[in-house]
Amino acid sequence: MSAGRWNVLLGALGIALFLVLWEVIGRLGLGGISWPPLSAVLEMLADDSKWALFQRALAATLQETALGYIWGTAAGLGLATVAHLVPPLRRGSDRLAAVLNSVPSIALGPIFLVLLSRDSTPAAVSSIHVFFIVFVSVSSGLQRATPAHRDLFAVLGADRLKRFRRLELPAALPALASGLRLAWPAALIGAIIGEWFGASRGIGILIINAMQNFQIVLLWCAVLLAVGASLLFYGLLTLLERGAYARFG
Amino acid sequence: MLASATISIDRASKRFALAGSSEGVLALSELSLEIAPGEFVAILGPSGCGKSTLLRLVASLDQPSGGSVSIGGAAPGLVSGRHALGVAFQDHALLPWLSIHDNIALPFRIAGRRVDEAAIARLIELVGLARFATARPRQLSGGMRQRASIARALVLDPEVLLLDEPFGALDAVTRRQMNVELQRIWSERQITTMLITHSVDEALFLADRVVVMSGRPGRIVREVTVPFARPRAPAVMRSEAFHHLVDDLTAALEMPDPDSSPSAG
Repeated sequence: MSAGRWNVLLGALGIALFLVLWEVIGRLGLGGISWPPLSAVLEMLADDSKWALFQRALAATLQETALGYIWGTAAGLGLATVAHLVPPLRRGSDRLAAVLNSVPSIALGPIFLVLLSRDSTPAAVSSIHVFFIVFVSVSSGLQRATPAHRDLFAVLGADRLKRFRRLELPAALPALASGLRLAWPAALIGAIIGEWFGASRGIGILIINAMQNFQIVLLWCAVLLAVGASLLFYGLLTLLERGAYARFG
Repeated sequence: MLASATISIDRASKRFALAGSSEGVLALSELSLEIAPGEFVAILGPSGCGKSTLLRLVASLDQPSGGSVSIGGAAPGLVSGRHALGVAFQDHALLPWLSIHDNIALPFRIAGRRVDEAAIARLIELVGLARFATARPRQLSGGMRQRASIARALVLDPEVLLLDEPFGALDAVTRRQMNVELQRIWSERQITTMLITHSVDEALFLADRVVVMSGRPGRIVREVTVPFARPRAPAVMRSEAFHHLVDDLTAALEMPDPDSSPSAG
């Protein structure tokens, strides 16, 4: 058996073991009252009467996440590009991004709440998370062109914009794709945290409500939905990243 | 087509800053060399003798610390700005995301000129890559990549052609084959050419004149006009006269460095 298939098999075994343990601990009550068996959670997830609730929450969170993702990517890509093309701005923009990132998003929430509406806060927190990751990955990606390529463009008489468009930007695409992959889970977390500041619906609201009403199984349903949404898009973005490395790496 | 230009290097010096030394390192010392229009000059020297530094001055990639460098009377920066320099490095520097065709078309795009498909097709044919126009660089062998990089250097009909060890990373057999091909390609358009190499055979087979440099600081220790008529067949390399010149130049290369002590320069 090849090493690759062996790894897949081991991975599948690990996941199966984890799920079985979850079920057994839940059934036997070893994890206490807040650890339900997996089957109970799946049963509620499959329950038609609950599905409308889940769908609404998931749709709201995904919409906020997508909005934050798009805005954060645009801002990160934009600032990294401008800073790259206008060198005096580089240090300042690096600092700005570092400062923004060092502020815990939970602390930014109230500020957004004051500045924006309750329902825009999730997307705003999400976009801050995405912005930093995309900014850092694009900034470093734009430095990735090799010295030989830079020499070539200099001898051929390329101006800064031509060099950017024909060399630095394509060379940065793999790094951008890595950033986009890493940014998705961060965007989702940002949206869920943002919802805690009073959004009208979403997975974050579901989590809070379930917790406060001690609906443990519902709480786990909300968590599983968040994990599923995270993993699904993370997987798709991993494929995009692989494509970018194969073509531009 | 632009006319080939003269390369004039007039008492050029190049000093690099070095941490812990107020003087830095003198890579070139008052070196003078003139390459006539349409002449092919090979610069031969051991590694670290400053021959690549010399090429970088002509290619506008570095500025001389003293003296001057000009191409057809203009500063190299101006010539590069009007997209009239052709260059090939030891690293082929093809863009991995472009096909061979698009890599060769790149100088047109950088110069903001209409892509001359006929010129590209002719060059791809000339360097023997017609079947690989749509391939990506990583699908090609080292020798093929260097051919593509030479085609790219020639595609804008440059005033001068600068070759920095273009075959330095190839195996001996491929290298010899590439020399024969470059000779054929060059005979078609006789552009003023400066070739940096450490291979005596390569220099003698390709050039009209061979200049031997010695290092620290880099300067010219010997010049030889190559007597063989063009076009040159590979058989030239087996002639008595060729062997004689190889011995002569190898001896010049191995000459002890009179002032290689650390205090030199």
